[in-house]
This record gives sequence, C-alpha cells and structure tokens, in this order.
Amino acid sequence: MTGASSIKAGDSLPPFVIESVSPDTMRDWSVFLADPNPIHLDVEVVKAKGLGDKRINQGPINVAYLMNMLMAAFPGCRIESMDSRFLDNVYEGDRAVASGEITAVEGNRVSCDLKLDVDGRGTVNAGTATIII
Amino acid sequence: MEDFLPAPDVAGTSLDGTAIFTIDADENAALCKSTGLEPASDGTAHPIYYYIATQVAMGKSVAGVCETCEFDVEDGPMMGSSGVRFAQQLMVGQDYRVTGEILSLVRKKSRKLGVMDVLTYRLRLHPAEGGDAVLETDNVWVLPRKELAA
Repeated sequence: MTGASSIKAGDSLPPFVIESVSPDTMRDWSVFLADPNPIHLDVEVVKAKGLGDKRINQGPINVAYLMNMLMAAFPGCRIESMDSRFLDNVYEGDRAVASGEITAVEGNRVSCDLKLDVDGRGTVNAGTATIII
Repeated sequence: MEDFLPAPDVAGTSLDGTAIFTIDADENAALCKSTGLEPASDGTAHPIYYYIATQVAMGKSVAGVCETCEFDVEDGPMMGSSGVRFAQQLMVGQDYRVTGEILSLVRKKSRKLGVMDVLTYRLRLHPAEGGDAVLETDNVWVLPRKELAA
C-alpha cells in the first residue's frame, strides 16, 4: 500500500499467508522464548494432555504473523500499539492467513482491525493495531 | 454467591528482572525468516521481541509466575490476550531490562473451562543503561483450575 493520502477507512490490507505452520519454527521459537513447553515440540505430549494430535504453535508466533502483515502492507511503518486475543490454537500444518482492515486514518496514524484465520476453523486470533506510516 | 474460594491475592507482586536482554542480530534474522519476513536493514528488530524480551528477562520464569498464583505450570496456562504500546522501536544490539508487576488474579467460572483464574500482568522494557520504558505490555493468561471443577 502507499501513503496516508491514498488510504481510507474500510480499505482491506493485503493478506499475509503462511502456507503450512512448521514444527521446525516451533522448535526454534522454544529457544527464542526460552520456553521448552512440550506441547510445541512433542506430539505424544499433546495427545497425552488431550489437546489433539498435532503440535501447537506458540501464541507469540501468531502475533508475529499479524505484525508481518502490517509491515508488509506498510513498508517502513512503526507499530505504535497492538492488542490481540487468542481465540483458538494454531496447529502444525495449518494454513494461516493474517489480514486486516483500516478503521481510521488520522494524518500518518492508521488504525486497523486484524485477524488470523486458519483453513477450516475460522478466526483464531483477533485484535487491533495503530501504526505510524 | 460463587461456590469457590477467591484466587490468591497476588496483585502487586513484582516482576522486576535483573537479567539483561540483548536482541542478537543473528537470532533476529532467524526469527524474522522463520515467520516469512526478511529482517530490517536499519537496525530495528522484529516488534514481536516486545513479548520475547519481556518474558525472558522478567523477574520470574513462566513456571515461577504460575507458582506465585498457586498454579502448576504442568496444568497448562493459556494465553488470553496480549497488548503492547511502543514508545520506541526495538533495536538489535541494544541491552534491555524489565520492570513489571502482577495487576490482578481473578477467579471466574466459564461454561467452556469451568473454574479458572484470569491473570493480568504488566511488563515494561527499559534501556539497560536507564531511562524511560521503550514499551509497556499487558498480558492476560487463563489458568484453568481443574481441581475446582467439581
């Protein structure tokens, strides 16, 4: 997308697509987060806890997908604030799509609604953000 | 009148950290690429480090926060929401430290989870050398109280 003069409330942001959520990424993030919770690493643990039969993506990765969507839509932007609610898990192999819609433009400050959807299960993360473009 | 005891009174518990967190350039690059993004070339780090830096360098581990709330981390804390307000962008190579506190722990009953405690805590990330926070984040976790589900 381009500058503030060419965007308006109601405009959709280009989606950011993760074709298949990777268990390798979960392993890397367990190091980044210093959190070796096995539900992100070991399918057998997920099964034993009754949480399904696939590894569960760490929540902050899902937030990062939403941030990536914003930064791809507005290269060079700065996120001023962001809130997100975790509505459901994202699992290994899921196809996830981060998308958004502009709700207000005030000068170079743009407010957006955000969501992360996974194929077959709908919205798993939803929130808002204000960015400076 | 609810038929369970209130949650432990932990509001105000300090989460100030003593560790220094530095966003490593190679790790930032790996993190960006792991989510399908090229790292920035201007020295800024991926903004998701708001969560990573504050969690890693706060004064208690995730298990320690749960223990403060009299909750076993093995029972599966769940992220409810996360919010952040940035005063500055995060920079690769910058040293940061964390201050923060638990804001509330509220016991509720939900149709889906039964009895649960809703934990809200606030963390701030400061330049290690001192100065105002570069960000403030509020996180909400849900702690399902299976033992109180009967």
